[in-house]
Amino acid sequence: MSSPRYLVTKLAAAAVSFAVTLVIGFVLFNLMPADPVRTMTRGRPTSEAELGRLRVQLGLDKPLWERFLDFVNDTLHGRLGYSWQYQQSVASLTMHRLGPTLLLMGTAFAISVALGLWLGVRSGWRAGSLFDRITSATALTLWSVPTFWLGMILLIVFSVGIGPIHGFLPAGGMSDPTLPQTGIEHYADVAKHLVLPALTMVLVVYAQYVTIMRASIIEEIGSPYLLTARAKGLTDAVVRRRHAVPNALLPSVTMIFLHLGGLISGAVAVEAIFSWPGLGELTYEALKIPDLPLLQGTFIVFSASVIIMNLLADLAYRALDPRVRAS
Amino acid sequence: MVTSSSRQSRPRRLQNALAAAGVSAALVAAGPGLAGRAFADGSTAGSGSGAGKTLRVAMDGSGVDTLNPFTAYFNGALDLFGGIYPTLTTIDDAGKSAPYLAKSWKLSDDHLTWTFQIADGLKWSDGQPLTAEDAAWTLNLIMTDDVAGTANGTLVANFESVTAPDATTLVVKTKQPQSNLDYISIPVSGIPIVPKHVWEAHTKDLKDFKNESTPVVGYGPWVLTEFKTGEYAKLDANKTFLLGAPKYDHLIEQIYKETDAAVAALKAGQLDYIEGVNATQFKTLQGASGVQTAQAVGNGWFGLELNAGAKTRTGKPIGTGNPALADPVLRKAIALAVDKKTLVAKVLDGQGQVAEGYLPPAWPQWSWKPADDQLSKFDPAAANKLLDDAGYKAGSDGVRVDPKTSKPLNLRLGIHSDDTQDAAVSNYLVSWFKAIGINATIQPMSMSALNSDLGKGNWDMLMDAWTTGPDPTYLLGIQSCGTLPNDDGSGGNTDSFFCDADYDKLFAQQSTIFDPAERAKVVGQMQEILYQGNSNIMFYNSTHKIAANAKVSGLLTGTKDANGFYPAQSSFWSYLKAAPAAEAAGSSGKDGGSGAGLWIGVIVAVVVVGGGGVLVLRRRSGADDRE
Repeated sequence: MSSPRYLVTKLAAAAVSFAVTLVIGFVLFNLMPADPVRTMTRGRPTSEAELGRLRVQLGLDKPLWERFLDFVNDTLHGRLGYSWQYQQSVASLTMHRLGPTLLLMGTAFAISVALGLWLGVRSGWRAGSLFDRITSATALTLWSVPTFWLGMILLIVFSVGIGPIHGFLPAGGMSDPTLPQTGIEHYADVAKHLVLPALTMVLVVYAQYVTIMRASIIEEIGSPYLLTARAKGLTDAVVRRRHAVPNALLPSVTMIFLHLGGLISGAVAVEAIFSWPGLGELTYEALKIPDLPLLQGTFIVFSASVIIMNLLADLAYRALDPRVRAS
Repeated sequence: MVTSSSRQSRPRRLQNALAAAGVSAALVAAGPGLAGRAFADGSTAGSGSGAGKTLRVAMDGSGVDTLNPFTAYFNGALDLFGGIYPTLTTIDDAGKSAPYLAKSWKLSDDHLTWTFQIADGLKWSDGQPLTAEDAAWTLNLIMTDDVAGTANGTLVANFESVTAPDATTLVVKTKQPQSNLDYISIPVSGIPIVPKHVWEAHTKDLKDFKNESTPVVGYGPWVLTEFKTGEYAKLDANKTFLLGAPKYDHLIEQIYKETDAAVAALKAGQLDYIEGVNATQFKTLQGASGVQTAQAVGNGWFGLELNAGAKTRTGKPIGTGNPALADPVLRKAIALAVDKKTLVAKVLDGQGQVAEGYLPPAWPQWSWKPADDQLSKFDPAAANKLLDDAGYKAGSDGVRVDPKTSKPLNLRLGIHSDDTQDAAVSNYLVSWFKAIGINATIQPMSMSALNSDLGKGNWDMLMDAWTTGPDPTYLLGIQSCGTLPNDDGSGGNTDSFFCDADYDKLFAQQSTIFDPAERAKVVGQMQEILYQGNSNIMFYNSTHKIAANAKVSGLLTGTKDANGFYPAQSSFWSYLKAAPAAEAAGSSGKDGGSGAGLWIGVIVAVVVVGGGGVLVLRRRSGADDRE
């Protein structure tokens, strides 16, 4: 398939996916049994007239098809609707939360990929060795630990401390309000707040890269081309680095792109435990009411991000693997 | 610290660079000016938010939805407003209305005109005079503008007119006599008064006005100087505050989404004060060093609602409720089957009281208890006898059969899926109900799904909880027939589809009785009707649990009762009266410890990483040799 035609096909597929996502997003959230007005005003003296007025204000009195058209219109205009609980546009809310989420998820993602791939290559190369057994066992154990539990344990150990050893890391938030909010000191402070949530994320997700990379390396290890490389007299490290790793990397690339797409949806559990003001936590808050425009808006943003990253993955695959081009 | 950017109002990280530039410029341009303008006499902390002592408290987990007091609903926002906007009256230790902006007030003989004497010489935080006109303007706006009435419209629904004939007189005329008028503008739960000269310009864009430009012009014990959505609010003390200056120079309200994290922060000395912790968290805090704990009587109830036959306003049955529950005998039997003392002991760990009356003990002026012969004591044998006598025969599986429909008593028990108390209590209920031949099935639901089902009458039994401020009108109101939905299912905000003509008559009556003791008597009769109806079975009043750094004093007001519980506490007074211990240098308790911890952590990390690395390297070289 020629390159332009390939690109057009992929773009069209992405556009169709997005359109389907719009419909699914709307139907899904509007099917949820909910009375947002009652939940929002819970515990406040609110007369029936006021509840009625609020329903009209939120557009809940309109028929479903009209709400769908409003929603599509809003999405295409980039407004993404108007959050009921925060009383501002979903686009601006999402933009505000994007920074903290990308900082946390980006840091955790970069460390997980680097650590996971490195450990995976080492383990796979010497499969069955003590190093492999320790690495794989540790990674799989951490992978199966519930995020929430691990986060709480880390929080107690490193924030409160154990016995006579006091903790030294902040228990939550993104910065210390008593410190200046600008300059080097501020960045150091944010970095300090980042340690525990990022560490929790890394410990929970890095195993995926370890296992996939390890498996790919083991698959490559018996290949004749490696024997040829060794026969040429190359050292073990060079054989691994120059010959085995590039070929074993493809499955990991798919996974990296898939995860990149999911990055902005944040990690609800980690953001909640460490009070990190990100998108995952925003979505969680929206679910409680439920704040439909906010849910739909974030759903669209998350989906669009996954669709775009998949598109990029397809294109990257074509660049990385000649076999894809040939087919 | 002195130069900290206390005026950064756009909070997020992506904007930090932009904000930093903007903030620096704003500080240079406006910093000294603002400090000078902050208070008329210039005696307050104008030196930025760093100097002086800081009280760090956990903000209510709901956070702040918006800083616009006309449209905000979340408790985090309401708590903040209590500190930065004034109200007409406040609440004293006994839960009664007391002077704030209004020095005194009197009621006309026809009970329709209230005249408030507003304190003289007060100034907003920007130096402009605070007069009765500000109060009149705020209340009029809520009465006349739909958006302005979003949060508090109901509180002024009975107002005929509000005027300010002069700077110190506010006159409120009501359509009908209204006995709770001195409670409608109290800190936190009442109407905050806003400065007319600031808000006048925003009446057109009130819905979109976020009010995030700091320092927020207001009057109260505190001034909001910095706000980061989803993170924290920073406030400076108003040292000339009418009801006494705060003892701390600054207040920080920080958001912890998980109470467990806030508890950890308190133990770690990163936080000075939290409230509303659960029984388990409270127990761990009681034993923690450097932490003081206290319990105040609860301002809410926790109980079970029974669907005695959901109907619309015209009496049309709606919903899928089990018709068996329309039988008062069955409801009485259910009430007798619940062992409230066990719930208090096991679920609350003793941190609460058994509840009978509808209104909570935080407001003793409304407390009502059933006479001994009316009391529904835990008595499964009596419950079984009642059901036997009424013809509910047990089937082969032990489940009784409804004699009217010949169907077994299978009842749904809706609980809040995110509430651990609901989960714990419902398990007890299922076994207790089984003992009297009722098969209850627990249905965990999200708060919004549960509310939705409630409004449509699609339920049999629901676990429910409510809190109330000192004026019980609203809580009593949601049990009145007037809150039932329309025939098409729209409207209505009933809590349990309870509807009783006598109750409604008393409800109307109590709102026009101005003698507190007389009103309490009528409110007591209403609670008696509710108690006998068994549509709302009260289980317990959990205490309000407070924990603070031991270095903070003066937090609590009142004296303990026989159970060791303090009277109801309010964040408004707690933050105002909290005082730093003389020797405490700042609020954080473990500064020395954290340094030590850091070093120990670093050393441990070096040893582990270094040792591990050596091990791996040795192993690798060995492996290479083997090849």
